[in-house]
Amino acid sequence: MEEVFIPALGMAMEEAYLEKWLKHPGDAVNAGDVIALIETDKAQVEVACETAGTVGKHRFEVGASVPVGETITVVLAPGESE
Amino acid sequence: MGTREEMLAMLRMMMMIRNFEETADKLTLRGKVSGGMHNSSGQEAVAVGVMSALAPDDVIATTHRSHHHTLAKGFSAREVMAELMTKATGVSKGRGASMHLGDVARGHFGGNGIVGAGMGIGMGAALGIKLAGDKKVAVGFVGDGGMNTGRTWEAVNMAAIWKLPLIVVVDNNQYAVETFIERVTAGGDLPKRASGFGLPASTIDGQNVLEVKDAVAKARDFALAGNGPTFLNAVTYRYYGHNVGEKGQYRTLEEIEDWRTNRDPIDQLAARLFADGLLDQATFDEMTASVEAEIKDAVEFAENSPNPDPADVMLNVDSGKLRG
Ligand SMILES: Cc1ncc(C[n+]2csc(CCOP(=O)(O)OP(=O)(O)O)c2C)c(N)n1
Ligand SMILES: [Mg+2]
Repeated sequence: MEEVFIPALGMAMEEAYLEKWLKHPGDAVNAGDVIALIETDKAQVEVACETAGTVGKHRFEVGASVPVGETITVVLAPGESE
Repeated sequence: MGTREEMLAMLRMMMMIRNFEETADKLTLRGKVSGGMHNSSGQEAVAVGVMSALAPDDVIATTHRSHHHTLAKGFSAREVMAELMTKATGVSKGRGASMHLGDVARGHFGGNGIVGAGMGIGMGAALGIKLAGDKKVAVGFVGDGGMNTGRTWEAVNMAAIWKLPLIVVVDNNQYAVETFIERVTAGGDLPKRASGFGLPASTIDGQNVLEVKDAVAKARDFALAGNGPTFLNAVTYRYYGHNVGEKGQYRTLEEIEDWRTNRDPIDQLAARLFADGLLDQATFDEMTASVEAEIKDAVEFAENSPNPDPADVMLNVDSGKLRG
């Protein structure tokens, strides 16, 4: 199971605005697929996964301010569950 | 070249630095490292080659990208990882973070965030060595970006006229943030620029740890004999962004892939040791496993370490003499 999280992208970044989900629970994804768009103080950033699998539950809704490092969803390998 | 043990130690150190950096990169993205962090993956041979040629008492002064220098100098993965997480058990007691690793008592005059400053500090260390009459040398690390700032050359000039035991090592990863060196370096030839100050200067393969070691060993002998500084331009490459999280579009994926697959310093040394019969698969696997265990332990140590005590906030800020 891969945790997809809000990356810390700058020295002063503490949270990000969750702008859009591009992948939804149950979607099949490949490594490198963009899962969500987030906005930091400086830029819009794509949050991608590193492994292939199935997207799990969205842990935050669009519009949420999510702290850096927080998991927003997971990518499940075959046979895994949340 | 060195004994088998020395070469295996160099290989293991490069593997340890790589694992450290890739692990620390992930921790930084997770928000566990404060103050930014510059990943040195790809540049291991410069650090390990230099340190393999130095004696424990020799001094280094470095830059904002200094984890590889610090680990190769003999600082433990535990204390460096703890410093990245600004814990009390860190190299700098949790007050420095990634960019301010150092311990003067152990010959590490620190990293810092001012491009080119490491050279000035290294030159000062070399002056101190000369005045004290010590039989040792100082290494000043500087990036390719630092080649185009004035203070670097002021330090080189002074080291040259005073014949200081300084070795200038350009950790030349060819980019200063997103700027390719060739776009900003007039004349194009760094050793030629340095030769203008009248010191031996050459370009070396910064992906070949043995070549770096040899060049530094010669420079060290030259300095110890009282002949003054040497300038070494070690050409290398950084695999990740300038700082963690930076995914710039100033270089091609093909370029990165080419350096990673065809010129990787760890792969090159391992291949050579395999070919020479000095390394076998079982030993290599054992080294890989022991490096993984070492870094895992370092992360656990750092995570379980206490934060600095807020009551000590004024400690090491000044000499203490102005307070009662
Ligand atoms: C005096 C100064 N100017 C600008 C900066 C901003 N800055 C930080 S790192 C960097 C690029 C340094 O490039 P290089 O010397 O090649 O080192 P590298 O990051 O490649 O290791 C710059 C311009 C700084 N820290 N200090
Ligand atoms: Mg550079």
